[in-house]
Amino acid sequence: MMQILRWSAGRVMSALITLLGVSVLIFVAIRLMPGSYEDIILGPLASAEERQLLAEAYGLDQPIFVQYFAWIGQVLTGELGTSYVTQSSVSGEMLERIPVTATLTIMAMAVTLLAGVPLGIWTGVRSGAKQGGAVGRVVSSIGISVPEFVLGSIVIFVFSQFSLGLKVGGFASIGTGFWPTFQALLLPALVLSVFCVAATARTTRDAVMGVLVEPHITAAVARGETAGHIVRHHVLRNAGIPILTLLGTITAYLLGGAVIIETLFNLPGLGSFMVTGLGRRDFAVVQATVLFAAAVFVVLSLVLDLITSALDPRVAVTGKAGS
Amino acid sequence: MTANAPAAPVVSLTGFSAEYRTRLGVTRALDGIDLDVARGELLAIVGESGSGKSTVSQAIGRMLPRVCHVTSGSVHVLGRDIASLAPDAIRALRRESLGFIPQDPIASLNPTMRIRRQLELALRPLGRPTDLESLTELLASVKILEPDRVLRLYPHEVSGGMAQRIAIALTMAREPEILIADEPTASLDAQVRDEILTLIVDLVQRSGASLIWISHDLGAVRRWCDRIVVMHQGRIVEEGPAAQVLDEPRADYTRTLVAAIPGRQDPTTKEAE
Ligand SMILES: Nc1ncnc2c1ncn2[C@@H]1O[C@H](COP(=O)(O)OP(=O)(O)OP(=O)(O)O)[C@@H](O)[C@H]1O
Ligand SMILES: [Mg+2]
Repeated sequence: MMQILRWSAGRVMSALITLLGVSVLIFVAIRLMPGSYEDIILGPLASAEERQLLAEAYGLDQPIFVQYFAWIGQVLTGELGTSYVTQSSVSGEMLERIPVTATLTIMAMAVTLLAGVPLGIWTGVRSGAKQGGAVGRVVSSIGISVPEFVLGSIVIFVFSQFSLGLKVGGFASIGTGFWPTFQALLLPALVLSVFCVAATARTTRDAVMGVLVEPHITAAVARGETAGHIVRHHVLRNAGIPILTLLGTITAYLLGGAVIIETLFNLPGLGSFMVTGLGRRDFAVVQATVLFAAAVFVVLSLVLDLITSALDPRVAVTGKAGS
Repeated sequence: MTANAPAAPVVSLTGFSAEYRTRLGVTRALDGIDLDVARGELLAIVGESGSGKSTVSQAIGRMLPRVCHVTSGSVHVLGRDIASLAPDAIRALRRESLGFIPQDPIASLNPTMRIRRQLELALRPLGRPTDLESLTELLASVKILEPDRVLRLYPHEVSGGMAQRIAIALTMAREPEILIADEPTASLDAQVRDEILTLIVDLVQRSGASLIWISHDLGAVRRWCDRIVVMHQGRIVEEGPAAQVLDEPRADYTRTLVAAIPGRQDPTTKEAE
């Protein structure tokens, strides 16, 4: 018990350090990008005085660490600042956009789990037989190798050319109720999930195949247990550990993919907010959205780790699952 | 002793040949094996590494890996040709009549579950009691000292000897008629080996089951077994009563095998053990 507590405390500490690292990185990186805020807002012809005035107004003339601590101080009090460009509150804007991105990624995650895991189990259990192997390979290689902007463009083209019942870019209906929102986000979520479905199916398949050759499975077969009993009790639980580990990576991927999908499908989510902010060197917006995404990711990995350690008694002790 | 028992053999291999077909080529593992095991018999299979002992033991439960193909012959268990059994029937046979004791006992247990849960999962489908008291009793029957503590442990928290006792308990709870132990003490310390062997032989003798024991330990084999089968390159080169095969080997291969035991260089020496 002590050991588990100490381990959990360690994980929380490293999560905080990760967030701190991300905040420093994004803060510095965005200021190193070519083209400063003043350039973008005032254009190349502005005078030095104009630029100076603007920089002073936003504190951009201060040394970078002063700026950083001022920002962190704000963040810690729950204040994300105002957009340099629109002068509106960043947190207000984010609150409006979070539901869109959250629904999009949760839907994509649901598709990933509902399609990827069963597909992986099926192909894994059937890995010796011919059909399972072929299906698994084809699905995973297509899914993994086609980038989603390619797939997204095809989907947008197909669905806007032929009215197939699903609207493309219908963000007007987002937030007007569950069903319209669901409809508007279904296609983007499907496109976003393709890579993850393939990756999950593949990981699940490998995990299942890996468990199947373990001696404790042979022992269960030798005891005359049925295939269903063995898969339910001995394969799924053990194969679940690598799948849970993968979910962390998938979340990161979905958050990143949402940026592309939202831009492509013209959805008013956090991802498109960040991209617009980036284009305008709107530091407050970019910093806030990136830090928020990192926080979501860090909290989720923490939860996943805790679940993993509950599933595999060896995790808490050694720090990682045995093979 | 059992040679003139009138009963039909419980296990019988006839002209059994099998080969492994892998990308690296074809390995002939068994070549025309004829072997009968009588009810209640304690049979040892010895022979160098790669001689096909494990393949024989797996063939008895139709547990051969997919790459292993039977090329001729048949295996009968309790009078039934196991090649002809439907999946359900072969599972029932494994469940009700066969017992395998694993080579690596810790690995034979599911690493993610406490011992108690595993015992429950294995025993419930058989309709055996799985309450705490029955499980404690079961572990006590294989001489585990603190059964209620052990029930709460995970496999990585028990010693090899303890894990083997648990595996034996799991196997014996089903009261198999045929027990197959492929080097059951290979992964254990010398000190626990004897205890485990004594336990197995004791349980086998009490239940009247037959034991097919694969071993490299000729001394132990001589002490416990009725009959020895010597395998070499997929064939049976010699068989007979344990003392006779080890003390007066007829086949050249058996002679080299016996000569390799430390302290037993002279096969005519008949020391007491
Ligand atoms: N999965 C496999 N794939 C390919 N060849 C195999 C496989 N298993 C066994 N063999 C080969 O079949 C032959 C017999 O192997 P087997 O495992 O039955 O020997 P053994 O007598 O049990 O040896 P050991 O004492 O090392 O356990 C060997 O030549 C071995 O290399
Ligand atoms: Mg072997």
